[in-house]
Amino acid sequence: MDLAQVLPLLLGLAWLTPLASFAAIVFFGPRMGHAGKGAGYVAIGAIAASAVLSILALIAWLIAHPLGGGHDAAHPVAAIAGEWYPLAVAGELKIAIGYYIDGLTVAMFAMVTVVALCIHVYSLGYMHEELHEVTDPLVTLANGQTLKRRGRFHRFFQYLSLFCFSMLGLVIAGNVAMVFVFWELVGICSYLLIGFYIERKSASNAANKAFIVNRVGDFGMIVGLMALWSGLGTFSFDEIFQQVRPAGHGPAAHGHALTVPDGMVRFAAREEIAAIYQGTPDARQAEHAIREQLPGWRAEGLGYGLLVVAGLGIFCGCVGKSAQFPLHVWLPDAMEGPTPVSALIHAATMVAAGVYLVGRFYPVFTPEVLLVIAVVGCITLFIAATIALTATDIKRVLAYSTVSQLGYMMLALGVGGWVAGLFHLFTHAFFKALLFLCSGSVIHATGTNEMPRMGGLLRKMPWTAGTMLVGCLAIAGAGIPLVIGLSGYYSKDGILAQLYSFAGQNPSYAWLFYVAAGGAALTAFYMFRLWFMTFLGSPRDEHVYAHAHESPRVMVVPLVILAVFAVIAGWNVPGTELGLQPLLEQARPLGTAEGASQGLFLPTLTLPAEHLSHAHEIHVPVTLLAFSVAVAGFLLAAVIYWWRLLDADVISRMFWPVHDFLRNKWWFDELYQFLFVRPVLAGARLAAGIDRVVIDGLAHALAGAVRLFSRFDDWIDRLFVDGAVNATANVTYEAGLRLREIQTGAIRQYVMWVAAGTVGLFVLAMFLWSYTLAGP
Amino acid sequence: MPHVVLSLIVFLPAAGALAIAFTSKDREDFIKLFSLLITIAVFLLTAWLAIPSTGRGEPSTFVVGQSAMQQVFRIPWIPAFDIYYAMGIDGISFPLVLLTSFLSMLAMAASWNIAKHVKGYCILFLLLETGMLGVFMALDFFLFYVFWEVMLLPMYFLIGVWGGPRREYAAIKFFLFTLVGSVLMLVAMLALYFSSDLSKLTPSQQTAARLQPEELRAIAAARSSSTPRPVHTFNMLALAEMGQMKQSPFDTPLLWGKSVQWWAFVLLLIGFIIKVPSVPVHTWLPDAHVEAPTPISMLLAGVLLKMGGYGIIRFCYPMCPDAAYDLAWLVCALGVVSMVYGALAAMAQKDFKRLVAYSSVSHMGYVLLGMGVWTATAGNAFVSDYWKMGMNGAMFQMIAHGLSSAGMFFMVGVLYDRVHHRDLDNFGGMFARMPLYSGLAVGIFFAALGLPGLCGFIGEVLVVLSVWNYDIALAVVSASVVILTAGYILWTIQRVYLGPEYKGPHPEALTPITRREVAVAAPLLAFAILFGVYPQAVFRYMSPSVDRTVSQLARWTKEVKAPRLAGTDALPAPVAIAGPIEPSASALPVAPSASK
Amino acid sequence: MINPVAEPVSLMHYLVVGAILFVCGVVCMTAKRNAIGVLMGIELVLNGANLNFVAFGSPYLQSGGAPSLGLDGHLMALFVIVLAAAEAAMALAIALSFYNAHATVDVDQANELKR
Repeated sequence: MDLAQVLPLLLGLAWLTPLASFAAIVFFGPRMGHAGKGAGYVAIGAIAASAVLSILALIAWLIAHPLGGGHDAAHPVAAIAGEWYPLAVAGELKIAIGYYIDGLTVAMFAMVTVVALCIHVYSLGYMHEELHEVTDPLVTLANGQTLKRRGRFHRFFQYLSLFCFSMLGLVIAGNVAMVFVFWELVGICSYLLIGFYIERKSASNAANKAFIVNRVGDFGMIVGLMALWSGLGTFSFDEIFQQVRPAGHGPAAHGHALTVPDGMVRFAAREEIAAIYQGTPDARQAEHAIREQLPGWRAEGLGYGLLVVAGLGIFCGCVGKSAQFPLHVWLPDAMEGPTPVSALIHAATMVAAGVYLVGRFYPVFTPEVLLVIAVVGCITLFIAATIALTATDIKRVLAYSTVSQLGYMMLALGVGGWVAGLFHLFTHAFFKALLFLCSGSVIHATGTNEMPRMGGLLRKMPWTAGTMLVGCLAIAGAGIPLVIGLSGYYSKDGILAQLYSFAGQNPSYAWLFYVAAGGAALTAFYMFRLWFMTFLGSPRDEHVYAHAHESPRVMVVPLVILAVFAVIAGWNVPGTELGLQPLLEQARPLGTAEGASQGLFLPTLTLPAEHLSHAHEIHVPVTLLAFSVAVAGFLLAAVIYWWRLLDADVISRMFWPVHDFLRNKWWFDELYQFLFVRPVLAGARLAAGIDRVVIDGLAHALAGAVRLFSRFDDWIDRLFVDGAVNATANVTYEAGLRLREIQTGAIRQYVMWVAAGTVGLFVLAMFLWSYTLAGP
Repeated sequence: MPHVVLSLIVFLPAAGALAIAFTSKDREDFIKLFSLLITIAVFLLTAWLAIPSTGRGEPSTFVVGQSAMQQVFRIPWIPAFDIYYAMGIDGISFPLVLLTSFLSMLAMAASWNIAKHVKGYCILFLLLETGMLGVFMALDFFLFYVFWEVMLLPMYFLIGVWGGPRREYAAIKFFLFTLVGSVLMLVAMLALYFSSDLSKLTPSQQTAARLQPEELRAIAAARSSSTPRPVHTFNMLALAEMGQMKQSPFDTPLLWGKSVQWWAFVLLLIGFIIKVPSVPVHTWLPDAHVEAPTPISMLLAGVLLKMGGYGIIRFCYPMCPDAAYDLAWLVCALGVVSMVYGALAAMAQKDFKRLVAYSSVSHMGYVLLGMGVWTATAGNAFVSDYWKMGMNGAMFQMIAHGLSSAGMFFMVGVLYDRVHHRDLDNFGGMFARMPLYSGLAVGIFFAALGLPGLCGFIGEVLVVLSVWNYDIALAVVSASVVILTAGYILWTIQRVYLGPEYKGPHPEALTPITRREVAVAAPLLAFAILFGVYPQAVFRYMSPSVDRTVSQLARWTKEVKAPRLAGTDALPAPVAIAGPIEPSASALPVAPSASK
Repeated sequence: MINPVAEPVSLMHYLVVGAILFVCGVVCMTAKRNAIGVLMGIELVLNGANLNFVAFGSPYLQSGGAPSLGLDGHLMALFVIVLAAAEAAMALAIALSFYNAHATVDVDQANELKR
């Protein structure tokens, strides 16, 4: 069978199975087994089926596109693109639901489904409380009692299924619009799951914050999409890449250099085109003239800005989703959700989607955009790492560590380390999911998130402690230098090596490397601080300690599986080229193998080709450096929290301004509250006030004026018009009254009057006869 | 026999109202049931019309893919003033007709707990439905105007009698605002009527405008007469043809150096944006919504607001393209301002229904914006694709907003029926008390939020994406609205549905949602999902006509407006018969003169 | 001053008698409270007028060459007689009816229209 038909089918099924599970749980969830317990099995079955299909797809892909042999830049990248059905068509323009499948897609599918499967199984144990009536000690009702509510076991798995569907849709998406669609959907799943404990105000606040902050990023993304759309008229990855990286451009050996597409040039040159059209009435001639002008306009740099805006906009969305500075504030709060959610969504998959999109969209980014990505990543990794130093909530430490690691990935992508950044995405997914699940196990056992109340749990929870130690070692990048290491060892080394190579080419940006290296030390420090505080030493809270116990097998088994992945994810199958790194190398997008340089606005910036960082003279010193800083971090943590040679409290008092600053998370929340939230609310009140006072006031004033005028009119009416009529009537009436007097009703009187009148008339006639009436 | 079908659809509710008028007012249940049956019958008729016609013989139902007007008939009504009883449907009006009959049915089902003067309520409700359907189907400007007013009065009474505490104020405000609009519309209508001249149309345009034999005779008489006398018309198709002619009869100066069509455009636009409603003439909407009973709010938001958008796409643009080109920025700016302003105002509301009402202002702003993005300019080589997308998005947004806003108002109504207050700060904990209701409500609110997979997203994204090509600043501002929308909707959800417990009065009244209420809400959500996942279900009916309207205007821009702007079109010599813009609809099945 | 008694009977004599009759009638109408009396006064007035008509119509009573009314005068007189008869019948009926209602034929009591 043809791979181009099989893969979309396999991955499409893998994508839709969780949706079916979601639909089934929506309609039948509460009736599935006891208290909806069956919903868990349905969801696990669905994600297991997805995982199997994804791994089948991975195998099929590897058979069809064997790894190794290096990446041949002249070859077009192997990818299968197509479309399932259109969402909207307008003339030539089309937005569709489609797919774009390459090595990255397939690898992401496998990773997401496997991690999700582990977490689903783990949740079966973690969420078992939800099968009964739940008492939520964190919610106090108005009458002073704690809340008792029905369990929501099925709803948790319903959301998880929806999330898996959305996440897989995001990965398989064949165009940016579809990415945006699922981007929003994973956002809403994240919203629903952060706010899973809907009764807790803090949870619903965190959910709102997560979604709204993400929307800020999406706003930028929409702007980027608009710029792309109006320039290119397509969203399909396939067509975008062909337009941005046309064959034959750039150095002859490689081709596919970044080119401003015709559409963007035309968009930027609209005035010139209008002039041409006005000068040449014939459309064909005008088009011809425009086509002749295009290269000249492109050389002038027309349209390049649009490309930059598009790249920055797309990156903006990634900043929101991947919790990069300055939109990183939502992720730590998102820890209000149940721990499996933190592991799946806020560590392994969704937050990595931003990095994934940057990787996917890599061919479109100009050097300027890449520099922005690198700087943002660098700032993020530093800020988050420093905050993690002082956090005491075990999940928040991990959350800041996630933010920091995502910063590493962005930094790597920004300096040209495409494989390094995405490689770290994969390894990080495994070990961070592991770390979160371990922390969940601890929380499950102790009932608290606060590390100062833990301690000495190693004896009580050996499996959890052991697997978590593996996770800590992996994230710190432990290994025997230049021989072998855990997965983090490879990926972090790759990042630092690329940075080192970049710093060598661009000395003015060398600070990126130093910050990243320092960050590695911080990483080791805060991770081992966490582990030491939790598992070593003497118990700090006897009650908590007495209560603690190892988690059930259904939770431990996923930990072990993930621990295994955290160790081996960086390895190639011995003796072959079969591994994650070669797979990613194969998926490397068009025209990015040779690095990039000569952006229009930053002509001196050079992004070195990634394969250069594998060179011995870069690789060896960087590996040693990374190892030594990690050891330094580990030792510092051990000195303070294990051997207790230094007292943490004393240190924090000594550096109290710094400590306060970090404890308060650099005052970001307060700053944003002051800078954005309050002004928007004030604007809202202003708008409502304008409505009430100005617009309605105007309408009311108008109505009042009309009423006033009508009263005046009424007065006129009554005084003059009615007055005249009434006066006539009155006069007539008065006259009638007077005349009535002589109507006595006595006939004899009438006769007298008649007689007298007749006589009177005669007399009158006699007087007048001769003088007037008689003729001559 | 289109005149039978369309007339039946329009007047069946009126006939039902008449029948109810002869029923004893004590038989309330019977009257409600009868009204519901009437609305269902109308919906079934329109749904039958939606079954795509096979295309063989004379089509009895809607022909999917045909862009021109279908099922057209024109019967003389008041011959002395060239007024016809003319109706027809196309891709622009038909989806709105379907929406109207669908929402009327649901709104009638939502009217079950109306207790006051049931007979009067049902009569007015059915009359309202007749008016609404007639507005969308009328093809004669005068007839349109009549239906427009027919719809106005029942609405006034429905708000003023069955409304909340401040119902009189709200009803009068609604009536006065709308009346101002319709008076301006009347003026514009008369201006167009007295400027129109059928004898300027070419034979193909006459065919497209479905002129009747007596009109052709009048044209012939006018042309052969030694003293040319214009042949006026109210025919909307003919007016559109005239508006897009090279030497349009509407180009004659009227006042202050502006042409007839400029004035007509402005007057019509004001009339229609009052209905949309757009800032700054939107303040009738929150009051009317807050006071109106739930089913009337559903119709008001779901259908009545769409008449504004429909009027703009049906009258303003095709009849007055020159003015529309010059004032496109105004339409866009009104749209963007409404979007931002409505969203901000919604955020500050304390009353649940008021919030939903302001969200309507914000969402209908997209409609104006999508219609206004006249990208078919010289700089874009007269390519109209982005405008098509915006216009399609605007039309889709009208349908989507019809579903989501009607749903939101119904959801507010369900709560109000139980606890009799709408204070947002006095809710909470609905998820625990009314889980099914909360699930449906949150789904519908997400549709309004513009969540992908639900109907609101498609319209919004199409509109927003089309704007960049028209103006970058407007595009950026319009994109920022997604943040505000998320803000106020999520905040509302948090305050009403989340939280540990209900904080307001009458907690004992919060019974689970009834089956009847589910039967109203579930179809709305189902369609919201369907249209969000598979928008082609709407677009296949809608797009051909919308695209045709836009293409005609784009061609007009290229052939008429661009030379005018360039100044090469200085020849004033009036040609007896101006050239047609497009020999549109030459593929009509039968020429009217040959029919019957 | 001529003595009318000494003169031969001429038109003037008739007119004088007619005038006397007329005045008697008028006086009777004004002075009598009894309806029947008033009716008799009306008859007298009519008769006075009739006498004039007849006198003017006579071909023998010409004075000064003025033309006579001729038969017209007689005709008018006959009309008046017929009318007077009809009028008398009506008036007596009204009087009877009034009497039935009010037990009197005093015309001063018949002032209902005044109110």
